[in-house]
Amino acid sequence: MAVNYKSYATAYFLKKRVLKFVSDVFFYSLVVGLCFVILYPLIKTLPLVFNSIGDLGNPDIVWIPIRPSVVSFRAAIRLVYGNGLIMLQTLLYVAVIMVIQVFMSAMSGYALARIKFFGSNLILYLVILTFLIPPQSMLISQYLRFKHFDIFGIMTMLSGGPLDLINKQGTLFILAIFGFGVNQSLFVFIFRQFFKGMPIELEEAAFLDGCGFYRTYFNIMLPNALPAIMTVAVLSFVWNYGDTYLTGYFHPQGPYLANVLTQTFMPARAEFTLKAIGIWYNEPSVNTFAFDAVKQAAALLYLIPLLITYFFAQGKLVENIERVGIVG
Amino acid sequence: MDNRLTKKKFLNISYRTQRQINGFIFVLPWLIGFLLFLIIPFVNTVIYSFSAVNVKETGGMMLDFTGIQNYIDLFNTEVSSDNQQIVRILVDENIRIFTNTPLIVIFSLFAALLGNAQFKGRGVLRVILFLPIILGLNVVVSLIAVSTGGDITSESIGTVFETESILMFLLRYTFLPINIIHFLSDTVSNIFILISQAGVQTLIFLAGLQSISPSLYEVAKIEGANAYELFWKVTLPLLSNITVFVVIYTLVELFLGSTISHEIYNFAFSKSKIGVGSALSIVYMFNILLDLGILVLIMKKVVNIDYGSKL
Repeated sequence: MAVNYKSYATAYFLKKRVLKFVSDVFFYSLVVGLCFVILYPLIKTLPLVFNSIGDLGNPDIVWIPIRPSVVSFRAAIRLVYGNGLIMLQTLLYVAVIMVIQVFMSAMSGYALARIKFFGSNLILYLVILTFLIPPQSMLISQYLRFKHFDIFGIMTMLSGGPLDLINKQGTLFILAIFGFGVNQSLFVFIFRQFFKGMPIELEEAAFLDGCGFYRTYFNIMLPNALPAIMTVAVLSFVWNYGDTYLTGYFHPQGPYLANVLTQTFMPARAEFTLKAIGIWYNEPSVNTFAFDAVKQAAALLYLIPLLITYFFAQGKLVENIERVGIVG
Repeated sequence: MDNRLTKKKFLNISYRTQRQINGFIFVLPWLIGFLLFLIIPFVNTVIYSFSAVNVKETGGMMLDFTGIQNYIDLFNTEVSSDNQQIVRILVDENIRIFTNTPLIVIFSLFAALLGNAQFKGRGVLRVILFLPIILGLNVVVSLIAVSTGGDITSESIGTVFETESILMFLLRYTFLPINIIHFLSDTVSNIFILISQAGVQTLIFLAGLQSISPSLYEVAKIEGANAYELFWKVTLPLLSNITVFVVIYTLVELFLGSTISHEIYNFAFSKSKIGVGSALSIVYMFNILLDLGILVLIMKKVVNIDYGSKL
């Protein structure tokens, strides 16, 4: 009897292919499941947002709107965004804060990484400690301090009384300049880790070529720190754009989108919002679902600048974080 | 010749001191900020917490030292904004944080492993994996959440992802203790909130995974390790320092999002009891430092923390 090797071979390859297929199915279902779980909160808003106001709450309509409309978006724009000025103001503010944060944290990070002076290690530990202490626990005292701002009586001498810095945009800039913006001690730490990993020869070469301290830093070190700068810039942009803590307590009436949205869509104001929608869009049967629909439409509009930044930055993000070396 | 040498030496020393002075100038803003916005507020908070604080008409502050009266009030008589005992809130928050931290860390490690695998469509997965950095912002979470009325979609989906059915299944077919089953079903129904907090952690883990040299995996494979052993013997030990960082980061983030900070504001400015609010601040701060201490102690047992290379 001749053994049919060919059929053995076919069986072997068949087995391999089946195994590969099965493991692929498992793997991709895992991946798709994970993506779904992450995207689910966003996906869930879509049917609500694109439904017409009258159809909201209709149990027959779940995923696909019968009469698609963008009334929710129009209501959101009319309630919060207006002519878009507030979005521009917020973006401008965030951009300025981002530049300040990057600039100041890069400086501190560089000094902590490269220059040994008396107490430099202690300062590093203080930076880490600052990251660990929640700023909220200092809220009362910081608030009162800004309410009656005075450094050793200098302000009283100059302007005849302590300054009230609450509800001024400058306060937020002061905080960022002195290293206490949103999560800024983390940024200092990231820069420190990055500069620590840069080759010392760069600085030595610059010194031999006659660069002073500042020229070395601004012409050699800073341009080479682009990965760290990008990482910090993206994180700073996202966190400042979404920040409601500093803006909410120290400049509550300022034009910050995150704050305005939180205030406009407080549950306490649902009644008012619903009435407004009913009158503006001539909808007799406005129910509480409309409030959620408008709120989520506003959230989606709010996310647009973030998503744009994110899609441009995300490709570089992993690579950069790796080169930054937070990871030790 | 001698002259040149001494000149050079003199220049050297001066260069170093000059460098130190310049370096100090670079850190100076941060130091001033630390003094102004951390040390002084901290000292003030401690002082307020030990005194009855009244704001004068003219804008000044009146402080009467009352000892630990504020702390006694805080734990015995005061209630939070939704009429709960403060101790109750503290205990609840701590339990929540201690259960959620490992869940978030493990999830982000898992997500990072998936994002690091080689397959078609990895780019898309990575785009989605970091979305929680954006979707996890407090504003976005609270805006997207359905606040009033019923949630139509979730009700209709309920039949598909029946969390109840998972609960029934576990109760009927497994012999797990009831507490564990409760915990599991809670976790399943809160999975979206947990995941929304895992964005930055996933990013850090992924970067860590990419920094592991591929040759280590090659060696292990040649020695005959399978995928399971590769993970436990190569990947995980090399990620240990990153894991410590991620755990600390997660804990701090969870504390920042806790309701205690709202209570501080509530006490100080809605009820005008600045002293009690300050006492709560101090308790809150000690709480987080204590939790971190416990975590680091636990992790020291498991992980060989290498401060030297990190700092």
